[in-house]
Amino acid sequence: MQAPHPIDDIEKFGIYQVYTGLGTGSGFLIDAKHLLTNCHVTAPYRDVAVELRDRSRISGRVRRLHPYRDLAIVELERAVEGEVLVLSENAQLRPKQPVHILGFPVGLPLSLTEGVISHPRQLLDEQYFLQTDAAINPGNSGGPMLDDAREVIAVTTCKLTQADAVGFGIPVADVRLFIEEFRAQTHEFGVQCPACSDLIVTATRYCPSCGTDLESRHDFDEYFTAPETDPLVNFVESALKAAEINPILARHGSHNWSFHSGAPLVKVWCCCSEHLNFSSPLAQTPTRSLEGLFRYLLSAEHAPFAFDLNGSTVRMNHVVHISDIFAAGDDAELSARVRHFVEKAAVTDQLLIQTYACLPGPESLPAI
Amino acid sequence: MSISALNFATPIRRRIEVAPRDFARRDHAISLFDAGQFVDSVTATLGYLLPTTSVPDLNNDALCLAQGSAHIHIEIQGEELLVRAPLVTLKPEAQVVAAMRFFLTRLSATGQLFQPRLREQTVALEFRERLALLHPLKLLEVMQRLPMEADNHDDWLVQQFGVAMAERQSVTGLTDAEFDAAWQLWSAHWSAVEELMTESRRRRQISLLDSLGSFTVNNLVYSLPLFGPVRTRINECADEFTSRDETATKRDNELAKCVKEMRQVTPEALRACLGHSTYAINPQHEGTPSLLTSILGGGSRMQKTGEHRAAGRGLEATLELVADYLYLLAHHSWPNEIDAALRAGLASASDKPWREAADLLWNHANATAKTFGSHGDQDKDDPADADELQNNFDAHPHHEH
Repeated sequence: MQAPHPIDDIEKFGIYQVYTGLGTGSGFLIDAKHLLTNCHVTAPYRDVAVELRDRSRISGRVRRLHPYRDLAIVELERAVEGEVLVLSENAQLRPKQPVHILGFPVGLPLSLTEGVISHPRQLLDEQYFLQTDAAINPGNSGGPMLDDAREVIAVTTCKLTQADAVGFGIPVADVRLFIEEFRAQTHEFGVQCPACSDLIVTATRYCPSCGTDLESRHDFDEYFTAPETDPLVNFVESALKAAEINPILARHGSHNWSFHSGAPLVKVWCCCSEHLNFSSPLAQTPTRSLEGLFRYLLSAEHAPFAFDLNGSTVRMNHVVHISDIFAAGDDAELSARVRHFVEKAAVTDQLLIQTYACLPGPESLPAI
Repeated sequence: MSISALNFATPIRRRIEVAPRDFARRDHAISLFDAGQFVDSVTATLGYLLPTTSVPDLNNDALCLAQGSAHIHIEIQGEELLVRAPLVTLKPEAQVVAAMRFFLTRLSATGQLFQPRLREQTVALEFRERLALLHPLKLLEVMQRLPMEADNHDDWLVQQFGVAMAERQSVTGLTDAEFDAAWQLWSAHWSAVEELMTESRRRRQISLLDSLGSFTVNNLVYSLPLFGPVRTRINECADEFTSRDETATKRDNELAKCVKEMRQVTPEALRACLGHSTYAINPQHEGTPSLLTSILGGGSRMQKTGEHRAAGRGLEATLELVADYLYLLAHHSWPNEIDAALRAGLASASDKPWREAADLLWNHANATAKTFGSHGDQDKDDPADADELQNNFDAHPHHEH
């Protein structure tokens, strides 16, 4: 029997998916309460959501950013179980050495891709990167690149889109320095100057140390100010708050939210320029005695909500027309409908299982 | 080559007369809504959408419209507006479960303001909303989609599931003379499609298959006032043989199956699915100068057709141009002058050999685009309620607007 490869049991690694109001990425534990990821994964948000293996989410607060080197440290609301990855001390990385990239490409569950080091110290845009031919996709950003000894040799950051198999990671030496400087940090939050790497803790135009004009770095302001939100985002997140759903934990990308209401998942998204959709995949239909179930689902009593069938999955749906949000209409009513939808999804899921012999849906949380 | 020309007989389907929209009325409706005059806003919105219809006081009287085979009821109940189109009544002896599953999978959907609702034994498409939340754009969206959806699900449901129709609008049948002409047109159409399929298989060009698929569907839409099971079945087949997600072989096979199936439709069955409908709301898209320019006025489409002409591929060039003309006429309403011009262009190519037909249509297309198309001006197509309609019969793979 072959000895298990050190990378086999990837589920045990402390690598998690990070969600903001703009998208998702990956991050990994540097200790039980801190996650390392890319700056571009978290920016411009200070509060992010981190999804654990059981699909529950906890909040994270960004503590330190290095925009130039594209690194960030997120402090989690509580310590989590998960293997803290070791940073490699190997200074002799060579081309053709194996590389294992772990992360959440295109929103898929934790997955691994493999390749080799194409160049251990490739110069790109005046910085050095580890270059690899291992597959990198959107969602991998911020995740670890490991060697065969399961030690971190780089942090996935980007790839060339006009080329095949040309991906880049931030070398572990830079990552180690960033973490060491964080360990010595006393301020709640700071951003490292792109020129001298000194920590800047309040919004300022010029770096107090080297005098660099930070406004010339067009996005430097955003790290110290709350991101602008549009009325649609405000509406959804206010409505979720009123429904006792943490909107930060529900963020799933741009104009996209997902969370569990009891067992079933609830998804919120804009399908087009006119509609804000709420949809909850509930239980699955049985194979017999469907008339009663179908009559219930079609009944007019559920308005303004409705049900449809997606394969064998019952979905509960609600549409808010964009004009409702931007017109000076009855926000309270619209918000109340969202709250009612969230409540009804949980109740209906149970009813379908208990009364109509439906089976739990594949996206629902397991019963406790 | 056995087929050397296409024939375009006078269509049986009547041209849909459309009153021009007055966008100022729509803007006025929005102003009324913003000012909190919700009932007046609804009335103004309906007035904009139905310029030739007298809108009653909806607090006291319902407005009932005919949209093809569907009845649409609009009324105010308390503080809400209800728009409702009865579809079917579930009978004990019908395939009730199958029918309800159909409604739940094909009519009920995310991202849709109206839904199928069951009250006692009747299923209807319904939209209900508080007046204070009924922005005119929202009402327009409902009124431009719900009636079409109701019209698209008519006698076919009875045949499929054994349900009873609930309160449908009768469709005026064809006269004997009309039906004779329709039957000839129908038979000639499928003969032409069969022969063109042979050419398509011989030449093995995807673009020819695309044009053929478009022609197959849109020639019928343009020429015949089809409804019911035959129309629905053609729609289903067209979803396959015009789909660019499918392989050419699969599409070819689906088209062949469709031809075979339609050849077996008896005159009686066809006559039962032909009739003249009235439409309270224009079921077609409104044609615009920019559309004319994009289809007929140059760009990659006409360039490709020009290449066919230059290379002596008369059949390919003709079929592409014919497909374009039929698409414009079948699914769009035009001012009289443009409509007449497009029909005249098509008629001029009738029974002409391929190369001659291609030349005639090519020159006509360029002239039409030059005369009636847009010439660099921004078209003020209204994004809120124009070109939003989905017609199940619209199976023109070239035109994914």
